[in-house]
Amino acid sequence: MANLTRVERRGHLRRAAAAGPIREFLTFTLSVDLYAVELTTIREIVSPPPVTHVPRAPHDVLGVCSVRGVLVTVVDLRKRLRAPAPPSSSRTRILLSETRSGEVVGLLVDEVRQVIRLGAGEIEPVAAVLGGDISAHVLGIGRPDNDPIILLDLNSIIGV
Amino acid sequence: MVDSIDKAREEFFSEAQEIIETFSRNLLALDAAISEGVKDPTLVNEAFRAVHTLKGLAGLFGAVAMGTLSHHLEDLLDELRLGRAELTRTVLDLLFGAIDVFGKILAAERSGSEAMPPGLDELVGRLRELGGSVAPEAGMVTDYELDPGMLAVLTEYEEHRLRSNLEQGLRLYRLHVKFDLATLDKALEEIKDRAKRHGEIITYLPTGESSSIETIELDLLMASHDDLSILIGALASDRIIVEEIERKPLVPAAFSSRTHPPVVPESVLSVPSGHPRPGEEAADLALVSPDRSLRSLTQTVRVDIRKLDRLMNIVGELAIVRNVLSRIAERVRAEGQPQISSELLRVHRNFERRLTEMQDGILEVRMVPLGQVFERLSRVVRQISRELDKEIRFVITGSETEIDKLIVEELSDPLMHMIRNSIDHGIEDTAERARVGKPAAGTIALNAFQKGNHVVIEIEDDGRGIDENALMQKALRLGKIDLTDREQLSREEVLSLIFLPGVSTRERADDVSGRGVGMDVVKTNIGHLGGVIDVQSEPGIGTKMTITLPITLAIVSALLVRVGEQVFAIPLNSVSEALAFDGRGVRVVDGRELMGLRGQSLPLCRLARVLGLPDDSTSGRKFVVVATVGTRRLGILVDYLIGQQDIVIKPLGKTLAEVRGFSGATELGDQNVGLVLDPGALIEEVLLSGESVREKGLRAHG
Amino acid sequence: MLRILLVEDSQSMRAFVSASVEQGAAELGEVELIQAASGFDALRLLPRGRYDLVISDINMPDINGLELLNFIRANEKYRALPVLLISTQSSEKDRQRGLALGATAFLAKPFSSEQLVAAVRAALDGAS
Repeated sequence: MANLTRVERRGHLRRAAAAGPIREFLTFTLSVDLYAVELTTIREIVSPPPVTHVPRAPHDVLGVCSVRGVLVTVVDLRKRLRAPAPPSSSRTRILLSETRSGEVVGLLVDEVRQVIRLGAGEIEPVAAVLGGDISAHVLGIGRPDNDPIILLDLNSIIGV
Repeated sequence: MVDSIDKAREEFFSEAQEIIETFSRNLLALDAAISEGVKDPTLVNEAFRAVHTLKGLAGLFGAVAMGTLSHHLEDLLDELRLGRAELTRTVLDLLFGAIDVFGKILAAERSGSEAMPPGLDELVGRLRELGGSVAPEAGMVTDYELDPGMLAVLTEYEEHRLRSNLEQGLRLYRLHVKFDLATLDKALEEIKDRAKRHGEIITYLPTGESSSIETIELDLLMASHDDLSILIGALASDRIIVEEIERKPLVPAAFSSRTHPPVVPESVLSVPSGHPRPGEEAADLALVSPDRSLRSLTQTVRVDIRKLDRLMNIVGELAIVRNVLSRIAERVRAEGQPQISSELLRVHRNFERRLTEMQDGILEVRMVPLGQVFERLSRVVRQISRELDKEIRFVITGSETEIDKLIVEELSDPLMHMIRNSIDHGIEDTAERARVGKPAAGTIALNAFQKGNHVVIEIEDDGRGIDENALMQKALRLGKIDLTDREQLSREEVLSLIFLPGVSTRERADDVSGRGVGMDVVKTNIGHLGGVIDVQSEPGIGTKMTITLPITLAIVSALLVRVGEQVFAIPLNSVSEALAFDGRGVRVVDGRELMGLRGQSLPLCRLARVLGLPDDSTSGRKFVVVATVGTRRLGILVDYLIGQQDIVIKPLGKTLAEVRGFSGATELGDQNVGLVLDPGALIEEVLLSGESVREKGLRAHG
Repeated sequence: MLRILLVEDSQSMRAFVSASVEQGAAELGEVELIQAASGFDALRLLPRGRYDLVISDINMPDINGLELLNFIRANEKYRALPVLLISTQSSEKDRQRGLALGATAFLAKPFSSEQLVAAVRAALDGAS
């Protein structure tokens, strides 16, 4: 086992040398598109507990829920990014992240996939690839297996 | 009588603790400095000073062990700051070790033990090795053109600092400054900050030449590596003159520091000597009567409020566990095991009792007396009264009234603003007061007391009161009310205009108090604490503001209600009663629904409608929860009363900051979350939406 | 009623002096003790009242007791004010300087309540 790990790491290092510092991203789906956020910004992934609707809240806030005693504001990421809404599945998850002011925000996503690693050189800048107003939240596009993954800036999305 | 000495001893323990902590922080900074290879003489000086002060106090209060340890540390630190010993890692470790021993000493004195703590002797031994007697220094000080008057007022300690600076080759400067007594603190802080970047201010000498009673002139003695030109650039101003103190030509001159002042005849020293000669240990117990032990002790512990919050969270979760336990008991009984069920119920009851005790205990810990804030305010009052040149008598009552620490922290600003407004706008100047026959000094009375689950704070002044006409004019001008309102507003409503944004600030900023802080900000801040504010005023007599606050934000009793599918919690301290509602006796007046309750009209609010939830108006029986906040009441119409429950209110995050009407959310069990209503906000929303006072900010937003 | 201005930066020391003065009511009569936590506070309080005695610690940060004494003696208004200085026991130089500047009396740390009361008494007597 130890040998395998060593080989893997060396391989990584070679890639890293070529592509700049490696960052890890968590990929997930929202309707038909693949998105990802930087792994370090996520503190936990949970199955959605009962979410209480908050009257008069902004339209993309689903409500609040409790995760082990901590109050979480749940944001419907689809609505915030204005992606089309498909039927929710049993695989929806909430990604928990903490804002600078200490608030825990949960992002509702359709399905969580895997963790990928990208070097700085493998992230394409956004430019004119995506239109509309979500480009403010986008770090870039990654293509580890040729399928484009939209890399999101989580701090920008939760907005504080 | 002995009590006040005991209290002084208690203060000693607190102060000793603080000094030791400062010393500790100091050592940590020194540690960091060493690792970075930076030499910071001020750090060593501060450490010396801390230990020196501790020694003095220890002697005064008869704390032998502490005095001994401080004495030896002082010697060592003296050597260090004079550059005669080197601050190596070993030495630093030794100093850190001293902190542990101090801790043990304090603990020992607290528990009344007379025994010397272990490790003290060893530590003292090692300190002695490194330390040693302080040899007299060379008189480098006399090589400078220092005003003999300035030298003559330096304490020995300051002279040491002066010498060590000179030994390191720094230059000497005199800063002549002229400041207003009133703003002295600020001006000094400022100059200290600026000067710190260039060197060290050794002493401040008031020159006694002040031209008026309000200004003071001082000479500051400063040591710096920098050139005169740099210092002038950094520090000089129209009130600050920077001059260099030159090195003298190499002709020795006679200075007063060289000449010895007349030998002191024993009789002038009006205290019989009884104190030990220098060199002896702090064996000062002879001065302290033997039966005075150090048994009376400080029992206080300083706690980070976040730790208390965490404890509160745990209590909340335990409450849920308790509920689950009771449900299991029910299920077990339903499944035909009555014996096990009653055992479970017994456990549940026991648990409940203990949990309540713990909850009460934690709540108690969070409570602090308002006196903390009031004391600070006294100082502010003195400052402001001088700034505004008005004589103020500040009377405080009820400072022992307790309230949640979190609330206290947030209270000082609003209170300060209100007092400032009072002194500024309310209290007349001396001439006017004389004219209307009032005593020269204006009175501001601050009173606090507990009323049920609330704490009431009153601020009253005997000034000119609020000019209602001027208030209305201003509100008119700002477009907050229109001409028809002018006729229709009741006195109470006129006075509450003061809480609208822009109304209570000055139009022109004057340079003393600026625009002033608006009462709308004060009101919002108080609102965030779950409180309300009311104002009463009588022209020519005075103004009184009343703040009503919940005693604690942490855990409250609440009434759980249901509207449609959703559960809401209403804090019980705002609920005066709840009754069944059958829809009869409801009138509509001015667009508002009212119902009769024991001869009085109660405004109604259909919660579903206000919150934009599906309104099931057809279903039969509903309930009205009568919410009372301050002097206002509102009947909240809900579908169902679930029951009473203790809840821990968790604040909603910033994302939901704009949503009005809720003071947070709480866990209801089974991971379900219920929103907690803010009756005060609801009352405002509902009562004002029907009124003709137009104010967008107060309306409900979608 | 004796009005004493106490200038001392240590809180527990202030409390101790206050308690001692209370205890010494038999000898001193009624005393109103006005407390200043720094030389600066003292400078602010001096013009605002009439005092019978100033008790000041010598070793205070920024404006020390000697400087305060100097200021008092240099000022027409307060020149005659009796001043009791509190010094650390090992500092002979501080005491000498204080005397040269015109201190009325000294009290060396550590001292007992009784010693404080006696010193206050002596300072008040010495002044007249």
